Amino acid sequence: MKHIEKRFDAIVVGAGPAGATAAYQLAKMGYKTLLLERGRTPGSKSMFGGRVYIRPLKDIYEDFEKKAPIHRWVKKERISLVYDESATTIEYTSNKTTSFTTYLTQLSHWMANQAVEQGAILLTEIRVDRLYKEDGRYRGVVVEDEVVKSDVVIDAEGINRLLLEREGIVEKLSPDHVALGVKEVIKLEPDTINNLFGLDNNEGLSWILMGDVTDGIPGGAFIYTNRDSVSLGIVVLLGEAARRIDRHIYILVEELRNHPLLYKYFKDGRIMEYSTHLIPEDPSRLMPKKLYYDGLMIVGDAAGLLLNQGYTYRGVDFAAYSGYIAAKAYEKAHGNGGASEENLKIYQKMLEESFVMKMLRKFSSVSRLMKKERLFSTYPQLINLLASKLMHIEYDSYKLKEAFDEARKGRVGLIHIIKDLWEVSRKL
Amino acid sequence: MTTETEVKKRKISRIEDILNNDVWDVDYEPHIIVDYSKCRECEWKPCIRLCPAECYTMVGGEVLFSYEGCLECGTCRVICPEKAVKWEYPKSGRGIHFRFS
Amino acid sequence: MPLKIIVGIKWVPNTTSVNIDPKTGTLIREGIPSVVNPHDLTAVEMALKLKDRYGGTVTAISMAPPSALAGLEHVIGMGVDRGILASDRAFAGADTLATSYVLSKVIEKIGEYDLIIMGHETIDSSTAHIGAQVASWLRLPYVYYAVDIEYNEQDRSIIVRRMLENAYETYKVYLPAVVSIAMHTYEPRRVKVSNKLRAKTEDVIQVWTSKDLDIDINCAGLRGSPTVVSAIDFVPKVPRKNLVFKERDPKKAAKWLIDQLIQEGLLEL
Ligand SMILES: Cc1cc2nc3c(=O)[nH]c(=O)nc-3n(C[C@H](O)[C@H](O)[C@H](O)COP(=O)(O)OP(=O)(O)OC[C@H]3O[C@@H](n4cnc5c(N)ncnc54)[C@H](O)[C@@H]3O)c2cc1C
Ligand SMILES: Cc1cc2nc3c(=O)[nH]c(=O)nc-3n(C[C@H](O)[C@H](O)[C@H](O)COP(=O)(O)OP(=O)(O)OC[C@H]3O[C@@H](n4cnc5c(N)ncnc54)[C@H](O)[C@@H]3O)c2cc1C
Ligand code: SF4
Ligand code: SF4
Repeated sequence: MKHIEKRFDAIVVGAGPAGATAAYQLAKMGYKTLLLERGRTPGSKSMFGGRVYIRPLKDIYEDFEKKAPIHRWVKKERISLVYDESATTIEYTSNKTTSFTTYLTQLSHWMANQAVEQGAILLTEIRVDRLYKEDGRYRGVVVEDEVVKSDVVIDAEGINRLLLEREGIVEKLSPDHVALGVKEVIKLEPDTINNLFGLDNNEGLSWILMGDVTDGIPGGAFIYTNRDSVSLGIVVLLGEAARRIDRHIYILVEELRNHPLLYKYFKDGRIMEYSTHLIPEDPSRLMPKKLYYDGLMIVGDAAGLLLNQGYTYRGVDFAAYSGYIAAKAYEKAHGNGGASEENLKIYQKMLEESFVMKMLRKFSSVSRLMKKERLFSTYPQLINLLASKLMHIEYDSYKLKEAFDEARKGRVGLIHIIKDLWEVSRKL
Repeated sequence: MTTETEVKKRKISRIEDILNNDVWDVDYEPHIIVDYSKCRECEWKPCIRLCPAECYTMVGGEVLFSYEGCLECGTCRVICPEKAVKWEYPKSGRGIHFRFS
Repeated sequence: MPLKIIVGIKWVPNTTSVNIDPKTGTLIREGIPSVVNPHDLTAVEMALKLKDRYGGTVTAISMAPPSALAGLEHVIGMGVDRGILASDRAFAGADTLATSYVLSKVIEKIGEYDLIIMGHETIDSSTAHIGAQVASWLRLPYVYYAVDIEYNEQDRSIIVRRMLENAYETYKVYLPAVVSIAMHTYEPRRVKVSNKLRAKTEDVIQVWTSKDLDIDINCAGLRGSPTVVSAIDFVPKVPRKNLVFKERDPKKAAKWLIDQLIQEGLLEL
């Protein structure tokens, strides 16, 4: 094993939103920072759904909204319950906005560039093989037969976290704790997007679809409008999918693209990219017992820090903010004499006090709710039957109560509905 | 409005054609190795349906894996019930290169 | 005496991923990332093998826009000692003649060299002119399609094995010389973190403009390029048969394939 002479204050593994932001903040505070990314460029291995909440990022990056690669500001939100060829949709439009659409490939790249501008050294094409330990303390990383050393290591390797598994810090991922996302990015001219979705330039749409879109497997579908493309994809709980899926997963995405309700949007589009990634789904199970060790902090997806609110993900802002806090924590630890386990405890404490852990605790039961079958098949069906009774008028018309009873007949008991409604309203 | 005929015209693309839009710098050695002997014992073979890039196919009644089109999601590693999948990320920046995701 | 080697690398769009828009029939070039021409990585590997065996230095040169710095970083990551990027607006639009002219001027400026190694050809234009043309500008001997090089320190010569369709030719060439390497001869080695770090933190990459080189500006770039692409014809679509061999036995597969080719009249035994 060859030890490289140059030593760093911090080595950050992975230039996703978590790692790039940690490196940015560390370099900004003057620490000698090495950011390592296995991809050819930062962002070349990144994939996500499509929408980022901006508020936490504005705390970290100066002039974020002016400089970052923002495609469109989300001003229209739709949630649809799909059953067969119909959908019941809630649409919320507002001129105020707190989120934007983008490609994570671009945003990660941009964040890594900010880190470099602050003086961090970014090495791409470097796959870290192991964390390096000296006298029981994390003191660097191993790449092939070479060791690069540092005072502290920040693990931002994302959800697959091979390095943490190798250290025995986490167990092997269970399919029941993650979801699989598969998406197509479809090229459309900006004007076409504006016309199809009723948007102005720079205005974006976020559209979540539940129900008949995932072959009854818990999950859902998403549509996000980018500047000159639309991201369209599905998410399924991996454990359930592994047990139940009986067709190829890509067919689900293709059927969505060709769905009678959606076909009109995509018929003139061309697929620009097809991508896939795992998503942390159950933070309570995924989170390591602690996020700090002697010389090591764990941030972002690797730490399971993703908030699923049922109708939206907060992964990017959570990841970035955890990286930011880890950097701040290192500054404190450094002031107290170094990155010992005792001194890095502050990372977990700061995280607990931030919105990151507060929100994760608040929504801790959502992932269990998300496994409820009724939510994904029975209710979308029920609501659409109800709607069709009320809307599809030929001779007779239905009263609401009549339509409801008719729709519900033999499908689900009233007691269940009330119980589920109560559960949803409490957990979401 | 979407007309009836347009709906009939709608088509599911082949996975090969969809993947054709992606960019790889394929490594010369595989980053994933599958122990086929274990696949024979595996009844439900979830990788065949769940690998989004269809890297796992059935040929002549047996599982065949090819790493070239892998999108590096990790699904096969996580779902394989038989621990047949030895899984790493590619080295030296090789593998999938996402641009618009 | 250790070897001083120069390798030419070209920064090319990853043409393995260039697609055709099914609607318009035109190439989709949007967002195609660039890579080091894969056959040049083979050349770099050959150079590094020689350096491992005989000692010396390897310098990578490239004429390209500034984005090619990433390519030089990659080969330095593999173990190349330093990189020189010839980059100037005046170099844009060059054909092979103007490219080889600038490259030969770069090599002249480097001054001390024993061996110039090129890739076989590029994946984006495949002319394989550059090696021969650089050799002509510098009045050096040139061996094309080499698969192996041995160095003889005593008389400062190399023994080059060159691959033909059904034979090898072996040449003894006195240095300095230009050699291009047959594609796929060697697998390029991985980048190392120490080398990548060197590329980022030490001054191992230089950018030279036309001012740094002793060149006649009329021989560079578009002005120095006599080649005119007069038309591009598309190859007519050949109707294809789709036959699939469904078993797994490689021997049977080979036999089956040969039978098919004979049946189609494409092969005689
Ligand atoms: C389908 C899907 C939809 C999503 N939708 C949204 C959304 O709409 N909004 C939202 O906010 N979030 C969303 N997310 C979640 C969000 O993408 C993640 O939470 C976020 O990207 C996590 O950032 P990270 O930096 O922790 O990890 P990642 O983004 O995964 O980055 C990890 C980085 O580490 C690198 N790496 C890994 N191992 C190594 C190694 N050994 N050596 C060197 N480098 C390594 C990887 O190449 C990668 O660049 C979605 C996720 C998915 C999969
Ligand atoms: C079907 C077919 C048949 C052919 N038949 C023959 C034949 O019978 N006989 C024959 O001689 N040829 C033949 N050729 C051509 C030959 O194989 C090569 O394609 C050609 O000689 C290489 O030219 P090139 O433009 O690709 O390479 P070049 O572009 O000349 O590149 C060669 C090398 O020069 C260096 N280089 C190039 N550009 C730069 C740059 N900007 N900066 C630094 N270094 C650079 C690189 O090391 C590169 O690998 C044939 C080609 C084809 C496709
Ligand atoms: S799931 Fe695992 S054991 Fe089963 S067929 Fe796939 S790779 Fe083989
Ligand atoms: S990592 Fe993902 S894309 Fe690659 S082979 Fe496994 S399931 Fe398929």
